[in-house]
Amino acid sequence: MYSKRRITVAALSLIVLSTLSVAAPASGLISSKVELTTSNDNVQVTDLRAVQSDRLLRVQAELTNFSPYNQQVYYRFKWLDKNGFTVWDDEPWKPMIVYGSQRQIINVSPPSLFATDFRLVLHSSQR
Amino acid sequence: MQGQSNYEIRFTLLASTLVLALAGCATTSSPTVGGGNVSYGDSKAVETVTTDLGSTDIQMISEKMTQSLIQHPLIQDLIRKRQLLMASPVKNKTSEYFDTRLITDTILTQLQKSGVRYAIEGEDMQNQVDELRRQNQSGLYDKGKSVKMGRMQGAKYRIDGSISSIVKKNVDIKDVYYKMNLRLVEIETGIVEWSDEKDIRKSARR
Repeated sequence: MYSKRRITVAALSLIVLSTLSVAAPASGLISSKVELTTSNDNVQVTDLRAVQSDRLLRVQAELTNFSPYNQQVYYRFKWLDKNGFTVWDDEPWKPMIVYGSQRQIINVSPPSLFATDFRLVLHSSQR
Repeated sequence: MQGQSNYEIRFTLLASTLVLALAGCATTSSPTVGGGNVSYGDSKAVETVTTDLGSTDIQMISEKMTQSLIQHPLIQDLIRKRQLLMASPVKNKTSEYFDTRLITDTILTQLQKSGVRYAIEGEDMQNQVDELRRQNQSGLYDKGKSVKMGRMQGAKYRIDGSISSIVKKNVDIKDVYYKMNLRLVEIETGIVEWSDEKDIRKSARR
């Protein structure tokens, strides 16, 4: 399902910052924040960062296409509060093309100030 | 003669029971009514039926604008001070017809979930005025339990914008590029305090 080798090789980090405190990057947390709906090894989440600043969460995910061909992916975020409850309706799926052997950055903030946690749901078709 | 009549009654009863039993089976297999030609889909699914502006485009535009607005310090200040926002109609400069209020209404609804308060505008104003007049001028309402005239609050900021498109096509392909601009304007000064845009490209083989 998830290529551990690639995850290890890639710079995996989840940095949770607040305006006052900075936490060290914690490896291996990507799998806990990413939900894959398909088993396409070509596109992987290779970096994931989250910053809580001025009441608002900011998330940056890096998708890497390990194949030489363009890959069509669909993604959306689930926004959760500190207790794990969803604070927002289902987001629309968003289409994105990750070009062959390229990286693509997703930069988002939740539409709600009550979100303190997230899950990235990624759907990519095997090609 | 009597025997034949009894036989007919028994046959009718048996047939009725069978029909009812079959009908019962049909309704308990799934809680639906209809011939099966209509089905419900995922309203958040990516819609690629045509290159025309569709549900996914509206949802993506609204989401991007809400996320961008909510990050702006002015909106967070507006929430703290309980100031009011309003939305002017978004200009549709594309060659297609669609109701641009879909976009602004969605943005306002999403912002309100984070605590933004907004005032009604043009199209909704008539209903508001009608109700105020009904309560104050019809003589039908108890004065002590009616709302008062002259207490409506004006918005400090308004959202407006436009959506445009460029359509290119040849014998093989049709390509449509949409661009939505949205601005936050301080009504008193006319200063644009925030603006953002979202572009979408859709292509179809012909």
